[in-house]
Amino acid sequence: MMAGPGGGSSDVQWCFSQVKGAMDDDVAEADIISTVEFNQSGELLATGDKGGRVVIFQQEPESKNQPLRRGEYNVYSTFQSHEPEFDYLKSLEIEEKINKIRWLPQKNAAHFLLSTNDKTIKLWKISERDKRPEGYNLKEEDGRYKDPSTVTTLRVPVLMPMDLMVEASPRRVFANAHTYHINSISINSDCETYLSADDLRINLWHQEITDRSFNIVDIKPANMEDLTEVITAAEFHPNQCNTFVYSSSKGTIRMCDMRASALCDKHTKMFEEPEDPNNRSFFSEIISSISDVKFSNNGRYMMTRDYLSIKIWDLCMETRPVETYQVHEYLRSKLCSLYENDCIFDKFECCWNGNDSVVMTGSYNNFFRMFDRGYQQDVTYEASRENSRPRSILKPRKISTGC
Amino acid sequence: MECAFDAKNLISISLRKIQSSRTQRGGIKLHKNLLVTYVLRNARQFYLNKNASQAQRSPPYEDVTAVHEKQDYLELTGSFTELADDFYCNFTGAEADSWHCGAHQPHGQLTEVPHQDASSCALVSPNDSDLMLSEACWSCADKSWELPVPNTQANQKTVLDLDTHVVTTVTNGYFHSDCCAQPKQPQGAQCHRKRKMDTSYFIVDPEFYLPDFVPVPFKRMRSDDDSHSDSEQLDNTNISNLISVLGSGGLSEFVSWQQTDLEQIFGTQTICLKHTLFTGSGWTRAIEAF
Repeated sequence: MMAGPGGGSSDVQWCFSQVKGAMDDDVAEADIISTVEFNQSGELLATGDKGGRVVIFQQEPESKNQPLRRGEYNVYSTFQSHEPEFDYLKSLEIEEKINKIRWLPQKNAAHFLLSTNDKTIKLWKISERDKRPEGYNLKEEDGRYKDPSTVTTLRVPVLMPMDLMVEASPRRVFANAHTYHINSISINSDCETYLSADDLRINLWHQEITDRSFNIVDIKPANMEDLTEVITAAEFHPNQCNTFVYSSSKGTIRMCDMRASALCDKHTKMFEEPEDPNNRSFFSEIISSISDVKFSNNGRYMMTRDYLSIKIWDLCMETRPVETYQVHEYLRSKLCSLYENDCIFDKFECCWNGNDSVVMTGSYNNFFRMFDRGYQQDVTYEASRENSRPRSILKPRKISTGC
Repeated sequence: MECAFDAKNLISISLRKIQSSRTQRGGIKLHKNLLVTYVLRNARQFYLNKNASQAQRSPPYEDVTAVHEKQDYLELTGSFTELADDFYCNFTGAEADSWHCGAHQPHGQLTEVPHQDASSCALVSPNDSDLMLSEACWSCADKSWELPVPNTQANQKTVLDLDTHVVTTVTNGYFHSDCCAQPKQPQGAQCHRKRKMDTSYFIVDPEFYLPDFVPVPFKRMRSDDDSHSDSEQLDNTNISNLISVLGSGGLSEFVSWQQTDLEQIFGTQTICLKHTLFTGSGWTRAIEAF
């Protein structure tokens, strides 16, 4: 999708751009995409799949002839990030599915990203090589070593151009720190640390140190009988390196300040909206579970996604969200069926646009929804590759519940 | 609109989800199972409220329920013991130098036990000479099936399968393997299963059993009703019987058995068990005897 030219949010037109991946419906389980993440500039798009692979797409440079049209994305690099493992001690299989990918801020020509499965986080370096040294004194061109006695002259090796090669190499492996399933990783604004969160704990890592991490949140009760909620997502504040939030399966969000104490079990703020008793049902706990939390770019708000809605919270007000958007309220009457087929456990993500004026989230049937906070408008589009020509403008969709 | 039928259906679906989660790749999903138990609790509570009159005909559970009156009903207590045990079994490796599977014990200590896949076991009775149905006066605690004297350190329950006359003794969450697929053993002998589990559960039709989150070996009870019982739907009478036996504090009661005075349970539930035994439909074969 791409946005057409326009000044305000309401002038933005969304167009179909391209589709990547398998075109047919017969997709292997391992090829199912499990996570996507743009880098900070938007030039690179990383996707992780259930088979543990990471595919990175790179946007072509803007065309000089059509400077307002962004280039298409093409495959830039593909590598196997995680492999299936088996914990023989616990008789448990560890899935290779990539749960999250996060890009590190770019510091040089190379790109770095963190990828994680249920148990292990890896730091990958993606670098380009378009030159290779030639003219070694002790090595042949094919790499074989020369007999030193045959060397009669010395020369300085020179760099010769070669076909562009993108290399992905694992630089760090952060393992054995999580007992439960990792659901989130978040890079700190200090560009040195990051956090990883599982169901019951959050750990703080240094990007250079793999053999230790600091546990900063631990909600595991002394007696597991007393367990009532789990951590579902966590994120660092975009500007304040000491602040992070984590959401729970009970629909609460806790903000913590790492300056207050080493162990942030006690939150500095807790954001929670009282449940509407009129909407009480068998599935109230499930639909209130938060699946994603994202700070706004300006750091003043945060957005949470539960099963049916998006909520915008002002970080200065804990009692209720400042805005609530219903994503697919028509599903509320079908929760029983959704529970039976497990759809009710699906986890949706959400995101902000660049100036925090619009938020977006996904729904079923290839629909995605955007809510314009300023104009109080919402629109539904369908991300369908059928009947979609490149550059064709997407038409808003209307959901009809029918009889 | 939610109705009693939906509640029963949800209970059935929830239990199946919990059971199937054990075999899912990647291990038990704590988050999902937690949410499923919430649905289970909500459905059970709804069903109990709807059948309050039926519950009143059952023996009063004041002694037991009073224990749990103070519990915040919205708070999962106890019902997570089985899941905790199973999960603990799977996830203590990172917290200890060596993995061990530890079911909850009254004093909270763990015992190192080798691990074995429990699903291969079947229920076999060590002896059945004393397990005559005609003698099934369950309130007689002094009957000679060697019911150990309950004590806080070694809480025991005996589970009887009325179809196969299999007796299984549970001690401190250890499921003594009566359940190994072995020939009869001499009276009094108990082979210890390699895997410990909290067995506060009913051995009933596989389609309906309490949320025992530990892989429970079971075999389908041969029942005259099997030919016409729909495995996907639960008979009203079956659910009513089971929930009446469970009582209003059923889930919590079962999973926090180590905290409950067994003598109290013995006195209050045996009558109900007799009631269930004689009035329940065919699939309710195995009941819990104290």
